[in-house]
Amino acid sequence: MISYILRRLWLLVPSVLGITLLTFSLIRMIPGDPIEVMVGERTLDPVMHASALHRLGLDQPLHLQYVHYLSNLAHGNLGESLITHENVWSEFSTLFPATLELGIAAMLFAVVVGLLAGVIAAIKRGSVFDHGVMGLSLTGFSMPIFWLGLLLIMLFSVKLGWTPVSGRIDLSFDIPARTGFMVIDAWLAEHGDPSTYAGAFKDALMHLILPSIALGTIPMAVIARMTRSSMLEVLREDYVRTARAKGLSPARVIFIHTLRNALIPVLTVIGLQVGTLMGGAVLTETIFSWPGVGKWLIDAIQRRDYPVVQNGILLVALLVILVNFLVDVLYGIANPRIRHAR
Amino acid sequence: MTTHVQTSADDPALHYPSPLKEFWQGFSYNRGAVIGLCFLLIVVLAALFAPLVAPYNPVDQYRDYMLTPPSWSEGGSLKFLLGTDEIGRDLLSRLIYGSRLSLLIGLSAVVTSMLPGILLGLLAAFYPKLLGPAIMRVMDVMMALPSLLLAIAIVAILGPSMLNTIIAIAVVSLPGYTRLVRASAMTELNRDYVTAARVAGAGPMRLMFVTVLPNCMAPLIVHATMSFSSAILDAAALGFLGMGVQPPLAEWGAMLSSARDYIERAWWVVTLPGLTILLSVLAINLIGDGLRDALDPKLKRAA
Amino acid sequence: MSLLEINNLSVLFGADPHPFPAVEGLDLSVDQGEIVGIAGESGSGKSVTMMAMMGLLDGQGRIVADKLQFDGKDLLTLSSRERRKIVGKDISMIFQDPMTALNPSYTVGYQIMEVLKVHQHLHGAALKQRALALMEMVEIPAAASRLSSYPHQLSGGMSQRVAIAMAIACKPKLLIADEPTTALDVTIQAQIMSLLVDLQKMHNMALILITHDLAVVAEVAQRLAVMYAGQVVEQGSVPEIFRHPLHPYTEALLSSIPEHSKGARRLQTLQGIVPGHYDRPKGCLLAPRCPYAVERCRVERPELETYPQGAARCFFPLLDKEAR
Repeated sequence: MISYILRRLWLLVPSVLGITLLTFSLIRMIPGDPIEVMVGERTLDPVMHASALHRLGLDQPLHLQYVHYLSNLAHGNLGESLITHENVWSEFSTLFPATLELGIAAMLFAVVVGLLAGVIAAIKRGSVFDHGVMGLSLTGFSMPIFWLGLLLIMLFSVKLGWTPVSGRIDLSFDIPARTGFMVIDAWLAEHGDPSTYAGAFKDALMHLILPSIALGTIPMAVIARMTRSSMLEVLREDYVRTARAKGLSPARVIFIHTLRNALIPVLTVIGLQVGTLMGGAVLTETIFSWPGVGKWLIDAIQRRDYPVVQNGILLVALLVILVNFLVDVLYGIANPRIRHAR
Repeated sequence: MTTHVQTSADDPALHYPSPLKEFWQGFSYNRGAVIGLCFLLIVVLAALFAPLVAPYNPVDQYRDYMLTPPSWSEGGSLKFLLGTDEIGRDLLSRLIYGSRLSLLIGLSAVVTSMLPGILLGLLAAFYPKLLGPAIMRVMDVMMALPSLLLAIAIVAILGPSMLNTIIAIAVVSLPGYTRLVRASAMTELNRDYVTAARVAGAGPMRLMFVTVLPNCMAPLIVHATMSFSSAILDAAALGFLGMGVQPPLAEWGAMLSSARDYIERAWWVVTLPGLTILLSVLAINLIGDGLRDALDPKLKRAA
Repeated sequence: MSLLEINNLSVLFGADPHPFPAVEGLDLSVDQGEIVGIAGESGSGKSVTMMAMMGLLDGQGRIVADKLQFDGKDLLTLSSRERRKIVGKDISMIFQDPMTALNPSYTVGYQIMEVLKVHQHLHGAALKQRALALMEMVEIPAAASRLSSYPHQLSGGMSQRVAIAMAIACKPKLLIADEPTTALDVTIQAQIMSLLVDLQKMHNMALILITHDLAVVAEVAQRLAVMYAGQVVEQGSVPEIFRHPLHPYTEALLSSIPEHSKGARRLQTLQGIVPGHYDRPKGCLLAPRCPYAVERCRVERPELETYPQGAARCFFPLLDKEAR
């Protein structure tokens, strides 16, 4: 088990380095002189041009630039936004909790609904429910997220008026940010000062529902399908036959013998979905005007705010790598063969 | 001692079907797959014969008919079957021409990523000491980034256009093919028939392409189908963000982007392009499911 | 009255109008304390018969029988709940591949204790003691420490012993062993077989031994049923069948035992393969391969006829031949 973790950690190093190389090269690949690109339309005095190049270290050979970049990263210096002149890291860390909140809510939705649907579909294979789950999940991941978001808004916000259209909370509430999670902060505010913040918690929840469903639909569909097929595969295994030959009740056969083993590969899939979530967050945050990292990145790309693009992507990638590592560790714990290896 | 005895012919003796027939039997057993195939055929035909099928030119604006509802709605007219968008362009024609773009982008992206992917995967499997891990590390790095973000980044750098969309999607799909082919090839490499071919003197090129690759085709075909459908979705996403095909070309995702402002007033501008994307992608995914059922012997009529 | 009585059992797979008969018209009876062998090659239906009886067929096979009775209870009309009370307790089964027969996520001790908990409602110390006793009964060394082992930490022979322990935990009246030693090393095979026989004698269990290895049957079983393509083609006492096989198939099986081949000649086999779904002969199922087949064999299906020496499904049983 320890060696398994260490091996996984060791594999992280080239991945992390590779990502930094990737983000570094991405920016350098933009056609044209970087200073001109940054400055835009305005013409630049050659002397200022040269001094800007020198100041930013862009007149150095590429590999030195890369080393410089790495050392900056190691010191936590991720540069400044060209537009707001804010520190990239501080912008990221302010906006990240919003994305995290959305991501967690979406994942919860995906896992709970997906697992349930997948298990029941497998147990009742061939039934209407099974075909329904399969059909719906296939539709779920054939759908463009942004369209689903728009549809949800059209139906629930515009037509039915049940949910708000955008943002995290009604503009009339000015919730003090304590954890960065609007739902928690709203709850804390409401409990601390019920008169000023009446209804804030519910409002925050209502704002969270539609984006979570939109974002979580694809992971849910994938998890449902994977759970179903994993269950069906495990149900075919010899040891399930043994369990039945022991005269155990169907409930015991399913929940104790089958599920435990069927969930192991599903765990990996759940981890992989985190990457999908990040991509989907970009689209979801755009549709719902959710002030998170995804929207920030898109805006930066559209506005050619290169420091933000470069290091924002880096941060997101590092996050995904981290989550994948954690999922690998969890998988090692869940799989008894790995858990007991030395 | 051989006894040649004929098994009686007037038996309910069902003869073993030919491979093609068996494939079709397995595929058509899945009704959804057949429906998907029919729908896709319709889309392909519409794309191929767009100038003949579409009632109007997709870029022509009919100022007198801006935001006309579909023909079956109140206020709609038979002149514009599916209504018009905010600057008076016929929706149906734009959708039909849009299918050309989506199919073209999807197909090109798949081919552009599949061929290098196969090569890299085979190389990684055949040279597992040094080349293999190197290739896979690069693929891992590429997969560490969420695919949409990577695609957006690539398009951001290269500039928005159809070609760059294809390149971006191809780059993003490459690791998937490489991994798949490598895993498949490594399984096959352990099998006796490969050893037999090696002993018989087959060189690496022959081993790779003639001996091993054909046996990896089944999961590869299924994956290609699925990646075709995700290519269409990714292209639409890029179009939606304004980073893909540029206006006035009618691209399904881009159509949704401009539709955002009209959620309250004109539901058809939002619903119909998205529905088209959904149905096309669904059709392809259904076909992929059918292919998987037909090609994977383990799952034959079991799942 | 026999412990187990099966009359005219058929197991059909697939839809009408042409379902595949994995088992066709099988008759079998087993008395308390008897050891009966069922022999045949792959595809003969020997496993399916027993799985059908235990209710392990997964809903894909249909069971049709005149009589299917165990210990006086009619298995055909039993509800699943009632059946679960018998299975694992009064009838139990061990399978061919012990390495995959145990759940990899639970300890061996847990899996043995599970049977005891569910069927005999044991708890706590009594439960653990009985589990330990069982493990010792199946000759697992250092039983106490093995209780917390996981299946992947055990060898094939050890895993099969665990499976046997689970099967005899509730002192069943009938134990079905489906090729219990096929997947094991030769030396372990002998150990496991002798363990099974000892346990059988100890508990006076009926034992049905399914195998394709006639040598094992010869040593251990009292009666034997030979199956081919879903039908019983010969039945009788073991000594008699081995001395005078009545059915050409049995004769071929016996002559293909390596010990019966003298010198460096090729082993004797029958040409051809077992008929599958698509090529089931109209007449006798063995006719395409039988060295003695004549026209009648290809047109009519023989019934199982009883003779003084035993029963055989053949128009021309080998009544006068001496076995080699």
